[in-house]
Amino acid sequence: MDQCKEIQAQMSFYLDDELKGNERAALESHLRGCEACQGLFDDERDFLDAIRGSQPLHLAPPELRARVEQLLVDTPAPHAASPEMRQRIRRFLRHPGSSASGIAYPRRVLAAAALVTVALLIGTWAITVYLKQRPNPPSEFALMAVDTHQRHQRNQLPLEIASDVPERISSWFAGKVPFAVKLPNYQESSGQEKLYALEGARLVGYKNDYAAYVAYQMHKQPISLVVTSEAVAQPSGGEEIVSKGLMFHYDSIQGLKVITWSDRGLTYALVSDLEERGQESCIVCHEGTKDQDFIESLKPKQVSD
Amino acid sequence: MSESGNRNSTFSNAALKHLDALYGFAMTLTRNQTEAEDLVQETYLRAVRAFGRLMPDSNLKSWLFAIMRNAWLNQLRHTRGGPGFVELDAEEVERSQWLDQVANDPHAVYVRKLEREEVRAAIDSLSHPHREIVVLREIEGFSYQQIASILGCPAGTVMSRLGRAREKLRKLLAECGTTSATRTARVN
Repeated sequence: MDQCKEIQAQMSFYLDDELKGNERAALESHLRGCEACQGLFDDERDFLDAIRGSQPLHLAPPELRARVEQLLVDTPAPHAASPEMRQRIRRFLRHPGSSASGIAYPRRVLAAAALVTVALLIGTWAITVYLKQRPNPPSEFALMAVDTHQRHQRNQLPLEIASDVPERISSWFAGKVPFAVKLPNYQESSGQEKLYALEGARLVGYKNDYAAYVAYQMHKQPISLVVTSEAVAQPSGGEEIVSKGLMFHYDSIQGLKVITWSDRGLTYALVSDLEERGQESCIVCHEGTKDQDFIESLKPKQVSD
Repeated sequence: MSESGNRNSTFSNAALKHLDALYGFAMTLTRNQTEAEDLVQETYLRAVRAFGRLMPDSNLKSWLFAIMRNAWLNQLRHTRGGPGFVELDAEEVERSQWLDQVANDPHAVYVRKLEREEVRAAIDSLSHPHREIVVLREIEGFSYQQIASILGCPAGTVMSRLGRAREKLRKLLAECGTTSATRTARVN
């Protein structure tokens, strides 16, 4: 009877393939001679088969697959020693008296090799720290957006249309840029207090075509939005944050905050001199919104490996 | 292509094979489609940057799962107090492979589908630690040791938690009254 209890306690481990050798053989042998335990074993197996047969619980949507594939193409891996190299170094440090070929080195050579290894490891560490601290360089589009923002501030780029009506600005761009500009009226549609105001817009040249430039004001602080086709500019560099299925790139260029992102075939750059960092600068404009889900998505998410 | 380019491409191809599994785990953790999609992208971003640190003998799938769980825990710590909710039956496309496997008997297909849906609903109604461990073991097939490494707990904890989760699941399915698991429900 005690043996039955012991066998029953091990059934799950057996079915999970976690019993090895003698324990596995002992359980199989017991089942062959014990009808009661065999019945319980069959029940347990059927139960687990029913659970395991419910997979997959979810399938990744095709759009997510496309985004991940693009992300893997766009994100270069940092320079690092290959796994094989790391394993060789670890093996060497674990067994410093032998080489891969099994020949023992004289002690002096070994000491020199150890010194070189230590120097290399320190060098690699220093380079890694440097690379980690150095931010990803901003994209050309982000740099252009900053330059446009600054030139507009210096009155070198006057607005071609002055209006605080999003629909008027949107229709002004029709036929002038090779994409549709639809400015959201987010404040009104969400019931948000009017925190920022539309000033106007103009065309700016970028990569042999026109991009759309839209100027806003918030508490007399200028905010610039530059829009172009995703085929012309892809956002990159800076601090990358995924939110609502979009990848946002946060940069600080010449003291200005720049956020770039792509959505539905268009690439956007938002430039401001707001003091808040990264996503917090989004919250400044959207803090009055009643859309708590949207605000929640803007709050900083610090993640680490 | 350079050696590092080849390694990147090999890694990307290998990592993409686990997309459905990672998305399923992300749904288990977040219970929200948008958050799950963000978490999957965050996981791949972290993985591609860190894969130089992955040893050749390591299990890529469990490594990706561990990255995802750490990213999710960090997000929870810094954003909201707990996960959101999503209806399980709000998805999904049936896998054609599964349809190929079942008999051409419409009644059998119906019964199998019903059982699958009941099992999914039962898994979804478990508490977070139980749901998580059931998905890792029964759906993704990780070993106790791999689960311990993903969850950052001893293997003994995995065994005891898994045992409790299975008992809970067994009771839930017994309440449904139509699955094969019901017929085999044990009273301990």
